[in-house]
Amino acid sequence: MSKAKKVCVVIPAYNEGSVINNVVTDIIKELEATSLLYEVVVINDGSKDDTAFQARRGGAQVIDHILNFGAGGATATGLSYANQNGFDFAVTMDADGQHLPKDVMTGIKKAQNSNVDLLIGSRLIDTAGMSKVKVLGNKGLSNITKLLFGVNVTDSQSGLRIYSRNALESLRWKTSGYEFCSEMLWRAKQLKLDISEYPIKAIYTDYSKTKGQNNWNAINIVKSLVKRRIVEIFE
Amino acid sequence: MRYIILLLLNIPIISIALLNVITRYKTSKISKRRFKIQMILWAIVLVVLIFSFPAYNYLTGHSPLDSQELSLFDIFQTTAIIFLIFVVNNMRQKAEWTEKTIRDLHQEISIKLSK
Repeated sequence: MSKAKKVCVVIPAYNEGSVINNVVTDIIKELEATSLLYEVVVINDGSKDDTAFQARRGGAQVIDHILNFGAGGATATGLSYANQNGFDFAVTMDADGQHLPKDVMTGIKKAQNSNVDLLIGSRLIDTAGMSKVKVLGNKGLSNITKLLFGVNVTDSQSGLRIYSRNALESLRWKTSGYEFCSEMLWRAKQLKLDISEYPIKAIYTDYSKTKGQNNWNAINIVKSLVKRRIVEIFE
Repeated sequence: MRYIILLLLNIPIISIALLNVITRYKTSKISKRRFKIQMILWAIVLVVLIFSFPAYNYLTGHSPLDSQELSLFDIFQTTAIIFLIFVVNNMRQKAEWTEKTIRDLHQEISIKLSK
């Protein structure tokens, strides 16, 4: 009989008190229906609201960041926790309710049945329900990621990712803001990790529209990525 | 004579930079890749400096890059630029190291406190 796999669901959150409880309870409901050993970990990235309280109420383990370190920093903490506690897989997902729990489960199943190290849930394979502006911004960032780092994926900014044990042990990055999404792919490529994608559906509520990255943030991301690429030449 | 002054002023800076790079590599503070790139960077600065004399000689009287002879101001300006490259390079490495340390420390404290 094969041993049940341990999965850690990491949810980086900053001021998500109004939705985090539902996100946590929904994903726990899906995980309960499987034979997986799981833990849902919310990284409360220095929130000013009751994110930590609501996440605990939903049944998550909460790691409180004393300072706000950004999405990249919070994700790094969550994956480091998963690595230190010997999880077989880790999943990162957004805290704003953008990802469907069934898409998370599909990803976990795919990762279990393959040797992929980094599996990305791509919102851009099927763009139905996504605004044209968001499609344009995300495609633009994916193209820039390809241009700067040579990583060819359809959705470089997706927050839904599944990491193998190998990726948990080896994958590290330097940026702490949203630009970590692209940098992580670059590091994975440098480490020769196997990267793959699968289609997911993104749910855009009025709430998640105000929380997500907008195309002005994209300019900051590009600036930071170009800077990182140049600095790396001298490292 | 001016080129000798230029070399005398700048070679100590480049030597210290190269010594720093070798020391950091030998004490395992930097990776082999970073060591190689830093060595190449300073070797380029040194080569440019050494070849500035024949380059100036060649350019003098040759259009379109006709140049006047190296002035004392040029010597101090070049020295200042090389010194600034040295300082900025060191500062950037220290800033990156500090940033990484703070990030790792913050991460570990957060995980430990959550237990």
